[in-house]
Parts: sequence; C-alpha cells; structure tokens
Amino acid sequence: MREMIDIIVDSKTYKAQNGSLLIDLLIREKIKVPYFCYHESLGADGNCRMCMVEIEGQKRPQIACDTLIKPNMQVRSNSENICKVRTDILELELINHPVDCPTCDQAGECSLQDFYMDYGLHNTKITIQEKVKHAKHVDLGSNVMLDQERCVLCARCTRFTDKITHTHELGIIGRGDEAKVSTMPGRKLDNPYAMNVVDLCPVGALTSKDFRFHQRVWFLQTSNSVCHGCAKGCNIYIDHNKMKYQDDVIYRFRPRRNDAVNGFFICDEGRLSYKDLQENRQESILLYEEETQENKALQELKNLIENYKEKITLIVDANLFTDEIEALVAFAKSISATLYSPLEIYKDENFKDDMLKSANRAANYKTIENLNINTTLPTKNALVINFNHPLDFEADVQINFTTHKRGKNRLTFPIAAFSENAGHLTNEDSIMQECQKAVFKNNPAPTIVEWLQKVRS
Amino acid sequence: MNFIFTEENLIKIEALKLRYPSPQALCLPCLWMAQHQEGYISINAIDAISETLGIAPMEVYRVATFYTMFHLEPQEKLNVQVCKTLSCKLCGSDAILEHLKNKEVNIIHTECLGSCGTAPVMQINDTFYENLTPEKVDAILKELL
Repeated sequence: MREMIDIIVDSKTYKAQNGSLLIDLLIREKIKVPYFCYHESLGADGNCRMCMVEIEGQKRPQIACDTLIKPNMQVRSNSENICKVRTDILELELINHPVDCPTCDQAGECSLQDFYMDYGLHNTKITIQEKVKHAKHVDLGSNVMLDQERCVLCARCTRFTDKITHTHELGIIGRGDEAKVSTMPGRKLDNPYAMNVVDLCPVGALTSKDFRFHQRVWFLQTSNSVCHGCAKGCNIYIDHNKMKYQDDVIYRFRPRRNDAVNGFFICDEGRLSYKDLQENRQESILLYEEETQENKALQELKNLIENYKEKITLIVDANLFTDEIEALVAFAKSISATLYSPLEIYKDENFKDDMLKSANRAANYKTIENLNINTTLPTKNALVINFNHPLDFEADVQINFTTHKRGKNRLTFPIAAFSENAGHLTNEDSIMQECQKAVFKNNPAPTIVEWLQKVRS
Repeated sequence: MNFIFTEENLIKIEALKLRYPSPQALCLPCLWMAQHQEGYISINAIDAISETLGIAPMEVYRVATFYTMFHLEPQEKLNVQVCKTLSCKLCGSDAILEHLKNKEVNIIHTECLGSCGTAPVMQINDTFYENLTPEKVDAILKELL
C-alpha cells in the first residue's frame, strides 16, 4: 500500500495515494473532466488529449490520465484557460465528424455530445468543403457495427482486443485523416466478449446490431440486476421500457461494474440472454393442457397434495433466488415432501473459460449446497412438483411451476422470471448479490412465494 | 496461396533478431523482404511475418498500412517516383513529369530524394536514375518495360 497524501484540486484538499493516476482521483471525486481514450480497465493511452488540467509549476497543461500524483500537487481542472484548451481539442475532433446525432444510436449516451454541451457550443472556425468520407456501416462480426466516420480514434476497442481478450482482431490502420478502426481484410471480430467494445466506445462508432434502432436510450429505464447465465453472477443493468399501451420490454443487458465479481465486462452470451426472458413464456394456468381458472387449479393442486401425502417430491431450479429456495424448503417441510435439486444438468465444461464464464450454469447453486438440499436425481416418484427445473421427471403426476412453455403435464402454473421479481443470489465465490425488480408486466405472473401463499391459504 | 520466406531471407531475419530489442522492431525489415520477394505484401505474407516474429497479424497489418511505400496489392504498372522538391524542380522535373504522363507507368510525386547534385532525379524500385532528360527517360523505360 502506497502512502496517502494530500493534494489540492480547485482549491479543495483531497486524500490520494502517492504515485496513483490523477484522473482516477478526479473520476472518483466526481470532478468534471472530459476524456475519450482513458478507461479504468484499459489504463492510460494519452491519445485523445481531452483530460487536460493545469498543474502548478508546470508551464503547459498536462493530461490527467498520464500524470502521477505527487506530494504538494496543486491542480486546476476548470480554469478559464483549461476550458479554452478543451474547447480547441474538441473542435479538432469535430472537423470530420458527420454530426448525424438524430440518426445515431449513441445519441443520449455519447461522450462527444456531452463534452460539446460542456465545452463546445461554438460554431466551427474551420470551413472545409468536403469532410473526409469513410465507410458508414461495416459489420465487424459478433453483432458489432462500425461507423468509421463517427470514430474519434480513442483506441479503446483495439486496446480491449489487445489487453483484455488478447485476440487482437481490431487495429487502427492507415494514418492522418485516413486512419480508421478496422479488422484484417476478410476477417471478423470473433471472441465471446466482443460486444463489450460497444459499451467501451465513447461515441457512436461501434453500436450493437442487436440493440440499434430499437429504442432511443433516453426512454430506457435502468435497474440493477445479476446475470443468470452461469454461477459467476456478473452484475448487469437491465435496460427496459414500457411504451404507452404496450407491455414492459427489455431492450438490452449492460455490464455493471463490480470489481469483486466481473470487473467491467460481461460475456456476449450473458448479454444476449435477455431474449430468453421474453420468448416462449408460459402465461396461463393449464390443467390437462387446457386453460383454466386459478381457483380450480389451486383446488386441484391442494387435492393432489392431500392425496399423495408423504409421497411428494419437490424439485427446485438452482437459478431461483435464495428467498424463493428458502420458502420452498419451508413449504416442503410443511407438506412433508422431499426436496431435490439435481445439479449435474447445469454443468457445461464447454462454456467455461478463464475470464468470466463458469462451467456451473446455475446462478444460485451455491445456495442449494449451503441449504444441504439433495442434489442427486430423485428416484421412485409419485407426485412431482417441479419449480422451474429444466429436467422432466418420470412420475405418476407431474406439476410444473414454470417461466417457459414446456411439455404436457397434469398442472402448469406460470411464474415470474428473475427480471420480474426481486431477490438475492449467491455466486460461486459465495458473494451474495441483490437483484432489483426491473420489469412490471401488464399481466404479471405470480412469483413462487406468492403461489406458495395461495396454496397455503 | 501460402507465403514462405526464401531461405536467404530467413537467414537474414535470424541474423537481424539479434540486433533488434523486440520482435515489433523487426516488423519493418520483414515487410521489406516480403515486398521484394513478391512485389507486394499479401495477407498471407503478413500472416507469415506475424508467425515468424510471434506478434499478432493485426500489428503487422497496421504498420504495413501506415507507410505508403508498402503495397498491399499487386502492382500492375511500374511505380516511378519523381522528386518534386526545389532542386529537381529548378533543373526541369516538370518536363520529366510531362513526358511520363504519356507512358504506361504509375507516377508518384515524392519529396526530396536526397540527390540534388544530380537533379532531376527519379526512383524506380530501389534504383536512382539521375541527370534525367526526356530522352534518357525513354531509354530507361524501354529497358524496364
């Protein structure tokens, strides 16, 4: 641990580590500093020159992303002179920028737009007849689209493929005003984390083929959640919107920073897993494949539980929230049923890698283990009540509480998916995390806890 | 079609490896060798260089696109580099350029080639042609084409 020292920024004193980066302090203390190329996961590159600050005793402005904090440092981040410098640099960035914000998908979450509102608001002094033209919609592969004209050449995307994934697909080719981000001719961006470059891109140069043109970002509402793709438990934002007269729809998952779990990124498979939450969902209560009333179905369930007393098997999905699993443990006790959660089915060694992906594709299997629930396959089943476990079991009677449509059964109850419910998960490293309720459906399916209350009453 | 460095070039690369501090630094000499060997730098050549040096193909490709003297496509016409700087201009490079316009060659205007004492000068591949006159240009091109 390096020693903590005092430094002065804009006549206020802050504590900082000796020798750490100045920009980290500015970001942490929420002191306004514009930057394109710096990213906490990628380190300093110093190519965009936007993060200029004045340092007492130094003749010229310095870039904050490559300045190390020293004792007795005095920094000015918002003097008249420094704002002028930033305005001038921004003006150079905008020379060849197409300024097509109305049709640009990044509008609303674009650094270039934000910095223009902060430091620009000028008419350009440079009057060139023809802006340099580049390719407008290049399909880089892995759902990433590139607009070379909007690019500010910050090299975040190329540094991501160099330093994080080590796949080296992207690079800046050519030079001067012909410089552009590109892949090798005839090759594609191809790695399981590729779509993170869309989040990294500070402008509209890299956009997601999956998200673009579907929703303007200022309509989106954001909730904190945790990805259910595997036991890693990567933190995500769920971006969703309920348009007038329509249902609440999820438009994308974005990674949410958590240094203890996933850092800054998520895998593409997890990112696109939001689609599963909206497709092929079980919405109605079924009795012998026929839609039925809730009262009738509940009565049937209660009768069955009564008839099969002592011969009931409850199966629990290892993706359910801890809160739900605990409620099911209590429920099993109350009807003296045996509880199983076969975990073998979730194992997928092909999915595993040494970055974020885990071979255990069950978000909450740790809780199943902690609660000492039987993880083997049940044998000899009379009545099976399956709470969203992916396997089907041979039994005299099977009852399903399920999020998604599945095969024929005596009784089927729809339940809320994790995005429509709040709860807790414990990931494979035993870190407990919270998911917020994100989606509010017009006709929400009850959660498992709500169903259990109804069964008991 | 695969690109394979000639035996001679491979020996050269091995010798150069001792002289350069990092494999990245060897990129430029390797690109030159590839261009001399095939007349241009193909993607296969870039892959071969990246394999020889143990660096990513993209790193080699970036360098190759940065420098205008590397050709990434087969050159159909002869590349003639004519000096456009002061000494050659004063000694009649305009007349040479005018004369070349009617020939089946690719004219490239370059900055000073560093041979002002023998202006006007042009360079074809690695050879300087000095003290040019339109007649002399004809003779040179006749020999090369």
